[in-house]
Amino acid sequence: MRNSGAVLILSFIAKLISQAAGVSAPGKPRLTSCRSPEKETFTCWWEPGDDGGLPTTYALYYHLENSETIYECPDYRTAGDNSCFFNKNDTSLWVNYNITVVATNALGKNISDPVEVDVAYIVQPNTPENVTAVVVDEDQGPFVRVSWEKPRTADTRSGWITLQYQLRVKQKKDKEWEEYDAGMQKYYNVFSLHPDKEFMVQVRCKPDHGFWSEWTQTTYVKMPDYIPRERSLWIMITIFSVFIVLILTWTLNVKRNSVKLCLLPPVPGPKIKGFDKQLLKSGKSEEVFNSLVIQGFPPTIDYDDLLVEYLEVYDNEEQELVLDSKDLSEDCMKSKSPSDCDSGRGSCDSRTLLLEKCMVGREGSRSDQHQYSQHGETSWASTESSECQGLEPGSPEFSDGRVKTWPVVFSSPQPHHHYQVEAVKPVYHSVPEILNHSSPHAMPANYQNLQHQDIPQQEGRFGKPACRHSQSYTHGLDTPAPGVSPSRSLEYVEVQRINPENMLLLRPLSDQNREPEGSDYAGEDYSKVKELTSNNILLLQRDTSYQCADGYSQAGQCTTQQPPHPCKPVIYQSHSGMPQEGMRVMGNGYVDTTVLMPSY
Amino acid sequence: MNRVKVLQAWLWCVSLWSCWLSHAVPLDCKDETGSLIQCTSISQEKLLDRVIQHAELIYRVSEESCTLFEDMFVPYPLYALRNQGGTMCHTKPFPIPGSKTEIQQISDKWLLHSVLMLVQSWMEPLVYLQTTLNRYDDAPDALLNKTKWVSDKLLSLEQGVVVLIRKMLDEGILTPSIFEHSLTPDDEPSPEIPESVLRDYNLLICFKKDAHKMETFLKLLKCRQSNKLSCLSY
Repeated sequence: MRNSGAVLILSFIAKLISQAAGVSAPGKPRLTSCRSPEKETFTCWWEPGDDGGLPTTYALYYHLENSETIYECPDYRTAGDNSCFFNKNDTSLWVNYNITVVATNALGKNISDPVEVDVAYIVQPNTPENVTAVVVDEDQGPFVRVSWEKPRTADTRSGWITLQYQLRVKQKKDKEWEEYDAGMQKYYNVFSLHPDKEFMVQVRCKPDHGFWSEWTQTTYVKMPDYIPRERSLWIMITIFSVFIVLILTWTLNVKRNSVKLCLLPPVPGPKIKGFDKQLLKSGKSEEVFNSLVIQGFPPTIDYDDLLVEYLEVYDNEEQELVLDSKDLSEDCMKSKSPSDCDSGRGSCDSRTLLLEKCMVGREGSRSDQHQYSQHGETSWASTESSECQGLEPGSPEFSDGRVKTWPVVFSSPQPHHHYQVEAVKPVYHSVPEILNHSSPHAMPANYQNLQHQDIPQQEGRFGKPACRHSQSYTHGLDTPAPGVSPSRSLEYVEVQRINPENMLLLRPLSDQNREPEGSDYAGEDYSKVKELTSNNILLLQRDTSYQCADGYSQAGQCTTQQPPHPCKPVIYQSHSGMPQEGMRVMGNGYVDTTVLMPSY
Repeated sequence: MNRVKVLQAWLWCVSLWSCWLSHAVPLDCKDETGSLIQCTSISQEKLLDRVIQHAELIYRVSEESCTLFEDMFVPYPLYALRNQGGTMCHTKPFPIPGSKTEIQQISDKWLLHSVLMLVQSWMEPLVYLQTTLNRYDDAPDALLNKTKWVSDKLLSLEQGVVVLIRKMLDEGILTPSIFEHSLTPDDEPSPEIPESVLRDYNLLICFKKDAHKMETFLKLLKCRQSNKLSCLSY
């Protein structure tokens, strides 16, 4: 009793002393892993805990699953420090080992947690050996053949252990390895490696149930410099290019003319219009020079471009008749000749109305023209007077809605040219002088009926004069209208005003300032189209702001909005300011007559 | 006369014997329709290869079944579970060699017999395992299929080993010994995991081990067949 008490006291004192000195029992060790390289032996490693400041010894104890006999580790040295090696005799497969480690020092001991181990499931083989990588050259291209041997300790020959291998390849600079599974064979061919580069190769193995071994040491292999010859690709490229060449050649052959033209453009030879080389050769100079004379020079007809902007219309008291009798206009339309789409129309078209007097009138005016073929004369074609019927509002005959044009009076030596029926562009003729009818009453009702239509007359075809009103201003010269000073120069005129008696008051274009009788020049060349009636009559809008003296047919509110007689020329009176109820207001804006033109 | 008679008798005997030989069918071979046909013979090597393939497959499938079961029903890490001692496999009435040295000392005959006994010892537990697994609520179909497949393949393996024994050892068919499987519950069932789960898991693990044993034995046997000397001397 006393002894035990003394022992207790002593141990207590010893503990206190040891604690004061900083020493204690060892910490708990821990078994880290157990591994078997060939399924015949195995090794276990542990991690020592805190040794408590005193020299500590470690011991490993184990027992098998179906026995209670505890054995101690047979070999502490072979595998190094803190390890226990079980040799073949001590290794039993398919049985669980219960292993513990005990740490002991002067002050006490500590036991680790037990670990159950079945040797068959902790196999981790050694690394494969003798890894070689050689470059094999073939027609397909060189590749690398990697071969190795099994780890020395593994007994694969007897089938005791079955290993499968894996290798990985990369270039030095690459980050990622490329892995290949080689199965159970001991070689592998690596294809598609980049030429002229150095590669690193590593191999490892694993039993069919167990852990992967470590990677072997790196083996280096250098690929030779070669050009990857992929034959099939080159063949395809060749065929494709040959095909393309063939197609190009064929195309060139087909288009050889245009190619020739493109590459070697023909040098234009000198060409003078009317110049006949044959004549020159024949030596008759007179004929040559005669042929040089251009009949149409100076050009008297082609004023299309210049006259484009002017719209010559005339007002008609019988507008309402025109509007009402739409059927008539349709009839008129029918009688139009279809061949009215000649080429010259284009240049005349834009915003122009070509007025064409009727054929008869024209012819009739020829004679007049001859009389007044002087410069400065204005001759209105009294064309219709002879054959045109009288003022008949209901005249159904509307040849084809052609615009009747004033005959052009020029000082051209051959004034009759522009009356050629074959003239393609009867266009506007420049009237050298305003035909004075600013005094409407002065003249008889011999107005030339002009109807403006939307189709410029392209052909010299003058149909039957639909409008039978023929008015001639044959006396225009003799009795110049007051307010209109005849000018002797060749110039364009513009319609200034239309007086109620259906007289067109013209004034020369050049004199913009002239404002006969207070007419207000709008200053605009274009007219707004108010309405298109029955396809061939353009009702133009007249701006209300202006006095309705504008020559241009602004059939706005100013005009007496009587629908023009279909066969009558559309003449808008210049005085009335009442908008007609029947008139429909078109959209704002000017109209391009070409748009409204029905195509013939 | 006597000679003629003897000759006749001899001829008769020969013909009869040849007939008897041709009709002697050691095994009942049936084709797909079920009619008896002449068995196609197979060489011993090929047979052994096929048997080894069977054993390998069985082992792999048993390993997969174990993993499936663990994932599904065993929340603990294996490490801890093994510590609980739930890996007590049923003992065999015969000693099974546990190390390579021991196995190398065993003769071919014992190797084959060991394999046969192992196979036969697992027939019944696998059937039992199938029924228990079916009782689980959410047993994955893969697991059930695998156990069913394994028990079927085990039958084929048994047949193959029987034939091997007959061919290699010229022995008759051993009568299958009936093994008593005392599927006793564990001593200390864990409160977290139900007892049945532990038991089934134990079964699966033990079967895995035994499958591996079978495979190893058969492979060693094959090595011995090919070159006896190199196999024995490591």
